[in-house]
Amino acid sequence: MRKLAFFIPFVLFIALSVFLFSGLFSNPMERESSVLDQPLPAFALPDLHQPEKIWTPDSIKGKPLLLNVWGTWCVTCNAELAYLTELREQGVMIVGLYYQQPVDAAFGEVFNLSALQQEVTLKLEQQGNPYQWNILDKDRTLIFDLGVTGAPETFLIDAQGIIRYHHIGDINPQVWQQKLAAAYQSLQE
Amino acid sequence: MIAEYGQLALTFALCISLALAIVPLYGSFKGQQTALQLGNPLAYALFLLTAFSFWALSYAFWANDFTVVYVATNSNSLLPWYYRLTAVWGGHEGSMLLWLLTLSGWIAAVALFSRSLPLQFQGRILGVMGLVALGFYAFVLFMSNPFERSLPYFPVDGRDLNPLLQDFGMIIHPPMLYMGYVGFAVSFAFAIAALMGGKFDSTWARWARPWTLAAWLFLTLGIMLGSWWAYNELGWGGWWFWDPVENASFMPWLVGTALIHSLAVTEKRGTFKSWTVLLAIAAFSLSLLGAFLVRSGVLVSVHSFAADPSRGLYLLAFLLVVVGGSLLLYALRMNSVRSQARYELFSREVLLWGNNIFLLTATLVVLLGTLFPLVHKELGLGSISIGEPFFNQLFYYLVIPFALLLGLGPWVRWKQQQVKPLLKPMSLIAIATLILALGTLATLQSVQANLALLGLLLGAWVGSSAIFELLQRLQQFGSVKQGLTKLNASHFGMTLAHIGFAVLVIGVAMTKTYSVETQVRMKAGEQVELAGYQFRLVEVYPLDGPNYKGEAAELDVSYKGDYVTHLHAEKRFYTVQRSVMTEAAVHARLSRDLYVALGESLNDDSWALSLYVKPFVRWIWLGGLLMALGGLIALCDKRYRRRVGDQKETTELKDTTDA
Repeated sequence: MRKLAFFIPFVLFIALSVFLFSGLFSNPMERESSVLDQPLPAFALPDLHQPEKIWTPDSIKGKPLLLNVWGTWCVTCNAELAYLTELREQGVMIVGLYYQQPVDAAFGEVFNLSALQQEVTLKLEQQGNPYQWNILDKDRTLIFDLGVTGAPETFLIDAQGIIRYHHIGDINPQVWQQKLAAAYQSLQE
Repeated sequence: MIAEYGQLALTFALCISLALAIVPLYGSFKGQQTALQLGNPLAYALFLLTAFSFWALSYAFWANDFTVVYVATNSNSLLPWYYRLTAVWGGHEGSMLLWLLTLSGWIAAVALFSRSLPLQFQGRILGVMGLVALGFYAFVLFMSNPFERSLPYFPVDGRDLNPLLQDFGMIIHPPMLYMGYVGFAVSFAFAIAALMGGKFDSTWARWARPWTLAAWLFLTLGIMLGSWWAYNELGWGGWWFWDPVENASFMPWLVGTALIHSLAVTEKRGTFKSWTVLLAIAAFSLSLLGAFLVRSGVLVSVHSFAADPSRGLYLLAFLLVVVGGSLLLYALRMNSVRSQARYELFSREVLLWGNNIFLLTATLVVLLGTLFPLVHKELGLGSISIGEPFFNQLFYYLVIPFALLLGLGPWVRWKQQQVKPLLKPMSLIAIATLILALGTLATLQSVQANLALLGLLLGAWVGSSAIFELLQRLQQFGSVKQGLTKLNASHFGMTLAHIGFAVLVIGVAMTKTYSVETQVRMKAGEQVELAGYQFRLVEVYPLDGPNYKGEAAELDVSYKGDYVTHLHAEKRFYTVQRSVMTEAAVHARLSRDLYVALGESLNDDSWALSLYVKPFVRWIWLGGLLMALGGLIALCDKRYRRRVGDQKETTELKDTTDA
């Protein structure tokens, strides 16, 4: 028994190495999304440009779509607008979920809807408009429920309103081909 | 051409390390003197070639040779010359070359200072270090060559050094840290050489002690500098972040600290033998693990170099050979060794055993906290992250018994200690502790916090115990004055290092309790009060540096109406890397720091500023400095420089070693 005890450090080290080995082949930034294969969380949020219109999970069901979390303040989001617009032209349905950054009253900031609408319209005119419509998440409640860690993030949602894919980061031709295109096609059928 | 010479020298060095890995070891097993005697010249040659290679890379940086890919990615013609030189270790390839330089430096030092050791043992040490070196030289040459050229199409200017690294702390932080990491390779080599010999007396421990102390001292300084750098450069007044890479440097430090104490037991009492060997292996293994974690991209960290799985794979294979091999050797060789030294329950041996237990538990906490997210994910349980609260909570619980033991430890004799003689000094120290801690707390305006009280109590306990013990020991020589000249340097070193720990504990507890901060919006001329200090923003004006633009804010600080100081905080935009950096303004005093970071420009000419008042934060680094200084003094102990022949008198305590 005593002899075996001296092998404990060796055995522990080998066990650790197995994990280090498998860790080499996975991206530490990649996370398992906790909302996969779940229906969209309940929400009732206004349309960015027509605030009287309220969107709910039921009202966006019916067709597979991409829900793209973005904001004009987010540099990467602006960079992906052009390619997303291209996708829209190919017939992909994309809905924007506008990520409004916290308004800091201590610094004298106030939320101004019409200024935001103007800013968004201007941005989309300049860079291309991939969105069928934009949902405004002023208090980031849906964004929180979806487990969004930053913008841009994109969710692939099927016709029944079930989340099928959660992509963190921008969408470019490579990402679309490798990760999303096939899943989107299969939902179409 | 210089870069090519550098690469050539590195290639020769690789060959030399191969020879160093084979020849002396061969000689040690075959009993060939000639082969053994080749060890020293090989070690010197390795160092000289590596130093030349390092100089060649530095020259490429100095001369802005952007045909060298590594220079082009980490430097820029506008970078001031001193940062151009430190940019040599600003990226993966160059920092590996620095690693090689320190490794070959340690090898040459071992060759130089171990000439009095038995030739066979010295040959084994050099051979083991040669094996380690071989792995690293091959890694640098084949997988991370810093001399790679991008001819014929080379950039006109470089991409600049990461602005975070353009700081004085960064000039010396990595060299110190690497000296520490790599220095544990020496302790490791001593342990492996002893394992190869299979004869376990305590002599190897005596020889390994000064080397372990030296490595530990560098690592202490390196970690401390890193913390100080983060405080100045990251702009939010933090000094330790439990970042995976910080943890990677902290683990070898904890184990190294345990090793220093365990080596003392093995040397003086001939016991804890297998334990000490394991610690020596563990300290270096954790250094290697750290190198793997930083350079393979398995963990998310601000320190990570660009991830490259093939590099990670190589390092992991290397780790398996070195660590797996040595642990296997350990398992096969060590199980026949038995320690027979006897000691009672209340003895210094048992207290040092306690020290080791707590230090290793702390290491385990850090290791788990660092690697658990990885293991969790690889088991398919999803992503989690482990943050500050986990570490803080567990260290909070660990430090209490640890500090209590530390105060007691130096008073207790080897083998057996009667309780009665200690009652008087210990109760005196306890009273002194209470007076000091409560007295300090009473001078502060707000007597609130349990944490501050706890920190002061523990700090005062350790500190006063260390000082009283020193005084008592000095008096044993007749008078304190006589004692000052006669007592071992290592005893002074120990006392100082323990006081350093006390200072550190007080610093951490007080800073955590009494720091205040506020984020404000200010216009020039406005004033904000924080913890009794009035911060007045005098002006903000544009800056134009060599490789950056930015803004500087000037503030006047007064305390209850009296002018205290002027503060100058900067916000820099580095044009090449397009990144923003804060240069915090710090006014440091022993009792508190004033810390201001300039934030964003808001509309209507006002600025966001972060203001901090951080009491006792200096004590954290002061404590680290005292610990390192203690290590340095202990290193000067005459006993370590005695030649092997006349070492008998140091073993006046009877070693009950087995054959």
